[in-house]
Amino acid sequence: MALPLTYNLRNVLVRWRATLATILGIGLVVAVFVLVQALAVGLEKSASNTGDPRNVMIVRKGSTAESTSQVSLAQYQILRYWSQIARDAQGVPLVSADVVTLISQPRIDGRGEANVSVRGLTPVGMALRPQVKLISGRWFTPGQREVVVSQKLARRFAGFQVGDTFRTAGNTLTVVGAFDGSNSAFDSEVWMDADETRSLFDRQNYSSLLVRAASPQAAQEIIAHIETDKRLPLLAEPEVKYYGDQTATALPIKILGNFLATAMSIGAVFAAMNTMYASVGSRTREIGTLRVLGFRRRTILASFIIEGALLAALGGVLGCLLALPLHGVSTGTMSFNSFSETVFEFRITPWLAVKGMLFAIIVGIIGSLLPALRAARLPVINALKSL
Amino acid sequence: MTISTFILKNALRNKRRAALSISSVAVSLFLLVTLQVALRELTLPPPSAGAELRVAVRNKISLTNPLPLRQRGLIEKIPGVEAVTPFTWFGGKYKNEEGMSFAQFAMDADKLNSVFGEAKMAPGGYAAFNAAKDACVLGKITADKYHLKVGDRITLDSTVYPGSLTFRIAGIYAGTPDDRNMLFRQDYLDESIGVPGYVGMWWLKVKSAEDMAPVIKAVNAAFQNTSAEVRAESERNFQLGFISMLGNIKTLIASISTVVVFTLVLVTASTMSMAVRERFRELAILKALGFRRRELFAFILAESFGLTVAGAVLGIGSAYALYTFGDIGKMTAGIFVSFEVTSRIMGFAALVAAVLGIVSAVAPSLAVARMSVVNGLKTLD
Repeated sequence: MALPLTYNLRNVLVRWRATLATILGIGLVVAVFVLVQALAVGLEKSASNTGDPRNVMIVRKGSTAESTSQVSLAQYQILRYWSQIARDAQGVPLVSADVVTLISQPRIDGRGEANVSVRGLTPVGMALRPQVKLISGRWFTPGQREVVVSQKLARRFAGFQVGDTFRTAGNTLTVVGAFDGSNSAFDSEVWMDADETRSLFDRQNYSSLLVRAASPQAAQEIIAHIETDKRLPLLAEPEVKYYGDQTATALPIKILGNFLATAMSIGAVFAAMNTMYASVGSRTREIGTLRVLGFRRRTILASFIIEGALLAALGGVLGCLLALPLHGVSTGTMSFNSFSETVFEFRITPWLAVKGMLFAIIVGIIGSLLPALRAARLPVINALKSL
Repeated sequence: MTISTFILKNALRNKRRAALSISSVAVSLFLLVTLQVALRELTLPPPSAGAELRVAVRNKISLTNPLPLRQRGLIEKIPGVEAVTPFTWFGGKYKNEEGMSFAQFAMDADKLNSVFGEAKMAPGGYAAFNAAKDACVLGKITADKYHLKVGDRITLDSTVYPGSLTFRIAGIYAGTPDDRNMLFRQDYLDESIGVPGYVGMWWLKVKSAEDMAPVIKAVNAAFQNTSAEVRAESERNFQLGFISMLGNIKTLIASISTVVVFTLVLVTASTMSMAVRERFRELAILKALGFRRRELFAFILAESFGLTVAGAVLGIGSAYALYTFGDIGKMTAGIFVSFEVTSRIMGFAALVAAVLGIVSAVAPSLAVARMSVVNGLKTLD
């Protein structure tokens, strides 16, 4: 068994010109496969990476996005002083009543506009979201028409750099700072003062409440209480779960990824088959010699399949390397949940790289199966006679 | 043996390789056509009949901010405006489905025909829509999907308004580019769970194409410096606004197309050089017999061209057949309704195939040109 294996291995290297095109071809297919999956992973990561496990999110029952959810002042008053809600050193309940609205903003490249989420919140709301960190400028001053913009969003829209101003709802807002949301859903938001937001966009109600539960037990009680209280047509969920469920946007990308993977793998199998047939064909005499030396048909079969798999594995490595530079690059599209721009990153996880390699190796094995069978079935005498 | 049979025999000598090469070209071109069609559907939505006389008016802040009902009277007075209807997103979910599978909008029943006249209904549909407050009209695609017919009741849970509403189907329409939407009555929404005094947006019908620009200008000016400034634009620009929101998806699909084409060149070129390398000796013999270089070029070119063209016919043809006769809505989980393989896209794919055929012939031809007859005859491989 040892000889054919080294023989095959060296073949891959010796006939480099013939195999290079195949390796490169499979590499490109794997790169596309990995990158499209990396987008879906990035989208899901940004959703599942959002929130603090101690927080409970409260929205209107039946709403699918914070921007269409409404929580009235009366409802806010009812639950604000519940004992299960944690309080700060001054005894103020840790509840953030937020207003989320969408504004249409021009893109930085001048090509059209897109909706951007604006979150109106208070310093308590900021304290409840420790994931979000100021990276330049300062936080907005409550009572002022100032905004702090996610750094990743600022790279995509005009007028979002620190120091810029932009107009919306007939008023001018000043960008006073930029924050980083640590790859969470907050990376797609603009933050400003809650009451200024309500007045600017003429909103009587809040969109959502975020509360810090005093303990995990208390969190369960808050959720159960809201579920049973008839005065509150609201839905309470752990914050992490609320955002984690917002992954509908990843679906079209997954469909695209699966379609591409299927179609491109078929093409790649054909290409691999062609190379392997040619490789077997030009080595007919060598195969005959191996048989005469006593190597068995199944050894020949296995060794050629391994050769094909090896070829494809090299392609797989190449593909992963080609995809790697895009890891962490941020991109954006419209979220079907929030109807606004969602910013996320290509995320090439180790598991995704393994999937890319497996994909390549499967293509290699399927592509070399028939050529390997042909090699194994060659009649010895004829094979030796062939030129 | 004529030259053409010689070329044909050569191309088909290794039938397996010819079949594999043709198939890989076909698969890649199928993919290319699919991506190009998807890109076109995303960037150039099909225009609907009557679009050139329609104006969309939305809140300047964003489409999701409502507009006050009081604007209506002012818009109707603008010269050139023929009809105005509210158009309010309901965001209803049908039958505990996870997401929304079709859109619903509230509007004025008596304005349906004047503003969206391309929606054709069986006789009586319009009258029935006008007659009952809880009436709705439903696009044919959605009606077929859920086996709904005129007279049926449907209940939708709104994600925007608190609660759910039950509607009775007054008519089923067809003839718009996307026959999926459900339209119901604004007054029904206002009287039940809506916010009276506010609508989602306005749709206007102008009297003639010449009225478009002045009306857009007048509507924009009418509400400047009010609590609800508006953005009026043509239906086309309104659609393009949605496309802008898709962001980098376009770039993504365009770059994948490029990679597909590049891979295609690579694989086909490699196949051709394999084919030529295999018969180096024969080509040397032909050279020795007195065939000229350009004739040998022609042999190689014809063979490579033939392979890619066969692949193109197969790949482009199957894409055309699948997307023209298949149910694209089902295949893409409703993301695409139409998936039109235009002659332009087919032409583009055919061009790629033709260039591919020529490019793949270059490297082997050069090798043949450079070979000396003696060395060529010595080749064993």
